[in-house]
Amino acid sequence: MSALESLGGGHGSGQHGSSGLDPTAWAAERWRLLLGVRLFILSEVTLFGALFAAYFILRIEAPSWPPLSTLHRPELGLVAANTLILLSSSGTIAWAVGRARADDRRGLVRGLATTLGLGAIFLVIQAWEFIHNGFGLADGVFGSTFYTLTGFHGAHVFGGLVAIGIVLNRARLGLVGREHDTPVEAVSYYWHFVDAVWLTLFLTLYVL
Amino acid sequence: MGLEARRHLVIAGAIWAVASALGIAAVLAVGRILPVVASREAGIVDGAFVLLTAVSVPVLMLVVVGLVYSAIRFRARPGEDGEGDGPPIHGHRALEVGWLVVTLGLVGFLALYGSIGLIEIRGGERHDLRVEATALQWQWRFAYPDLGITSKELVVPVGERIQVTITSRDVVHSFSVPAFGVKMDAVPGRTTTVTVTPTEIGGYGVQCAELCGFGHTRMTADVAVVSAADFEAWVAQQRQAAQP
Amino acid sequence: MKLVGAERLTTPGLPRAVLGILIGALIGLVPVGLAAAAGLAISPAHLLLFGYLGGLLGWLTGIGAFRFWIAWALGRPIDPAEEHAAHGRAGDRSRYFRFTTDHKVIGLQYLTTFLGLLFVAGTFALLMRLELAAPGQQLLDRDAYNTIMSTHGTLMIFVALNAIVGGLGNYLVPLMIGARDMAFPKLNALSYWLVPPALLVVLLNPLFGGYDTGWTAYPPLSERANLGQQAFVSGFITLGVSSILSAVNFLVTVAGLRAPGMRISRLPIFVWSLVVTTSIVLLATSVVAAGLTMLLFDRLLGTSFFAPAGGGDPILYQHLFWFYSHPAVYIMAVPAFGAILEVAPVFARKPLFAYPLAVASFIAIGILSFMVWAHHMFVSGMADFLHIPIMVTTELISVPTGIVFLSALGTIWLGRIRFASPMLWVFGFLWCFLIGGVTGVYLADVPTNIYLTDSYFVVAHFHYTIVGGMIFGLFAGIYHWFPKFTGRIFDDGWAKAHFWLFFLGFNATFLPMFAAGIEGMRRRVADYPPELGPLNLWISASAFAIAVSMVVFAVGVVRALRSGPVAAANPWRALTLEWQVSSPPPVENFERPPIVTSGPYDYGAPLPGRSGRVPEPVGARR
Repeated sequence: MSALESLGGGHGSGQHGSSGLDPTAWAAERWRLLLGVRLFILSEVTLFGALFAAYFILRIEAPSWPPLSTLHRPELGLVAANTLILLSSSGTIAWAVGRARADDRRGLVRGLATTLGLGAIFLVIQAWEFIHNGFGLADGVFGSTFYTLTGFHGAHVFGGLVAIGIVLNRARLGLVGREHDTPVEAVSYYWHFVDAVWLTLFLTLYVL
Repeated sequence: MGLEARRHLVIAGAIWAVASALGIAAVLAVGRILPVVASREAGIVDGAFVLLTAVSVPVLMLVVVGLVYSAIRFRARPGEDGEGDGPPIHGHRALEVGWLVVTLGLVGFLALYGSIGLIEIRGGERHDLRVEATALQWQWRFAYPDLGITSKELVVPVGERIQVTITSRDVVHSFSVPAFGVKMDAVPGRTTTVTVTPTEIGGYGVQCAELCGFGHTRMTADVAVVSAADFEAWVAQQRQAAQP
Repeated sequence: MKLVGAERLTTPGLPRAVLGILIGALIGLVPVGLAAAAGLAISPAHLLLFGYLGGLLGWLTGIGAFRFWIAWALGRPIDPAEEHAAHGRAGDRSRYFRFTTDHKVIGLQYLTTFLGLLFVAGTFALLMRLELAAPGQQLLDRDAYNTIMSTHGTLMIFVALNAIVGGLGNYLVPLMIGARDMAFPKLNALSYWLVPPALLVVLLNPLFGGYDTGWTAYPPLSERANLGQQAFVSGFITLGVSSILSAVNFLVTVAGLRAPGMRISRLPIFVWSLVVTTSIVLLATSVVAAGLTMLLFDRLLGTSFFAPAGGGDPILYQHLFWFYSHPAVYIMAVPAFGAILEVAPVFARKPLFAYPLAVASFIAIGILSFMVWAHHMFVSGMADFLHIPIMVTTELISVPTGIVFLSALGTIWLGRIRFASPMLWVFGFLWCFLIGGVTGVYLADVPTNIYLTDSYFVVAHFHYTIVGGMIFGLFAGIYHWFPKFTGRIFDDGWAKAHFWLFFLGFNATFLPMFAAGIEGMRRRVADYPPELGPLNLWISASAFAIAVSMVVFAVGVVRALRSGPVAAANPWRALTLEWQVSSPPPVENFERPPIVTSGPYDYGAPLPGRSGRVPEPVGARR
């Protein structure tokens, strides 16, 4: 049974009798963890795929879009700006990953904190936008699809912020660095995914 | 292949051939699977049933003969050979390819046959009589828009092409007349269509074929196929009954 | 070490988990209470939703599922002794009732839980058959019948999705590939502990008013159904999450933890079947989760996904539901294919026939399974242009399925067959799945489908494929690996009695249902025309034979565990890795990683200097 696991993750390992510090074992464990995150993201892709499919089917079946003249598509300006905010947070987290690899703890903390901040701002602006949208969840298929899609996405952003916060805490405590960068790398995959979903959402719900 | 192996194959093959031939002959002799065939469409459906059953026979026999033969002839006998292994055969390229080719061919044939059958069943746009069937929890209502009458039972003249447009007032139901070989869901918010040409005068039934709540079991109605003259009489009757 | 008194409620474990449900549910209800105080309209549905979520989290916290991750998140070091303890010590029975990370324990937890569920759901079926034994109403009124029927279907679907994958799969995959455990053991345990609350809420659905929509839950009916419908949705989605996490675990394990020499061309066919199965789980499950969430939103939040009044489309639900639920039947069937093809070579003493082609056919089935879903919707009113392409893809999937038969028959043919109980189930499977598969062609063909859909023909078809397929595969696996799991030999007489009673009872029950369907008997009905009376009486009587056989099985298990002969490491003289360690295996599985030097089906292969016996156990150095 291996000793202290720097990742706190699985202890199954193809190399027996080695401690968590054995570089080959660590690399294999890192590979497995990142593969696991990628596979999980794949299941999330099909989740959003189903939501988008529902949107497209309902939209095609509607006589016009929005189906009721009392409803209006949301304004593009603010949302476009919000999109840039979220996309830039992908940049900051990528930078943070690089800082982790370079063993730059302060840079890493700053990068993660900035990402967290940008993500939080995104959610706040989105909440403001929703309040001023002029239509709600119960406004037929238009409201149903809009808020369900953005709501699922927002929930995933929130989950990502929690994950970033946890990694930030560990980074702050000096537990994330070149030999222990797997968590920040894993979270960055998830965060890029969340941003990619947003881009698709933005183009689908607001532009198309 | 060894002589022994060839012998097993030949014997099993012969049993399979005989069993299949007998089975196919029996199916074709019976010639009919549906209990009641009262429409053109049901006739096509029944034909498909007979074909599928005939095709299934050799497939069934292949596996059954293979299993029974193996269970009897390849059972390990206690004794010096009883503890030994069988021959180290990992595969047989020709058999694997052949199996794939045959099953693909069979599937292709069935898909083609099924597609043609479906197109035949659908027929064209033309129809002689329109009926609107409305499903609601838990009953059926029929309307004849061109004749201006409504009814709780479905009465249709024999030999005419009837277009039934179906909808629901509440949940998903399904318009099913087994004797006609037709079935189509009744979906709220849209109309579905099914066309049928009844060919046998008689009394049948429509039953709801999609679980629609606690009354699903009882959601049935009568169907009557009558002569053209009887149909005229019935329509006149309905018109009179509708007048206050 | 037995805990007493207050210790039981402060140490991670079942008592604390039960307390956790209560505390968690109460905490979950706080937002509802606040909303009520603020004047918002709340309903029992809100209570159930938030109570369930809170209770679920409370249960998991109580059992200790989160403690390592929470410690890690807070930056605290993880105590290796505690981690070791979580893996469980040999001989400690209590580890089966705790959050234990040993995959073998988790496998047995899954297996016993879902076998227990099989008994419960089977009892529901007996109630249904009692009602259907004669025309007219016997003991269940229509409301009760629909709820019992829906619950039977739902619970059996859960069994079929989880028994082999979660039970046999968890136990065997790491052993078969030469690994010590799964890639993510704590995640594995979490997957299991998500299951009991999900099952509980579905089992309790009658208390919430039941649901009358079948396991398929079509709207608009499911949007108006009682609160029991929501219990169904909650349980289903919870199990979905559990299985997605499991799928990630399986795939990473097989990808990254294979012992040296275990090339993928040497993977046992059972492992391959689970790779394909968990790939399907990974990709398909989220879609039904999305569809069920939309249903929940329509019920709770006034959305209009499936409500025509708001522009919604009931058929959209069917597409989303079946896009998952058709691949789901392959989640049920493919592991059974794997189990059958794993067992057959051992008892025919012959290599698995056409192993590479069998693997390819699993993969083809996996891919094709995503392209056929609309064959459940031929009469739904969906777009006309879908019918012929879907008919083609559905017929096509019978080709790779046929390869499974080629592989099995080719293995058996010319073998030296021993009819120990596992092999009986193999033969039984081949008969039953043959019937299931052939009748599937009738349902794939649109003209015949129109006549047969929603009739008892369909009920017979899916019982032949799911019971005849998955359950027979499950029992083949249970009997085959019973010595390995328990270290005991199951009495052959009892095993055979179970098999024959089950096989004959099953066929007697379900074969006549094809005739009932052709006669026009609809499914999901509590009553039928009187002329179908004798047929239904026969079916109901035969169903009790199945029940008796399951009692025989249960008794056999108890006898074997109590007083069965002790099992050697390899009583069947099989070649896969799990048989090269003791029965049951050591907690660590292997002392040293095994070195694999050959494939798992080299029966009959003469070795240099040997006379055609079983090769040397792996791990030995020459």
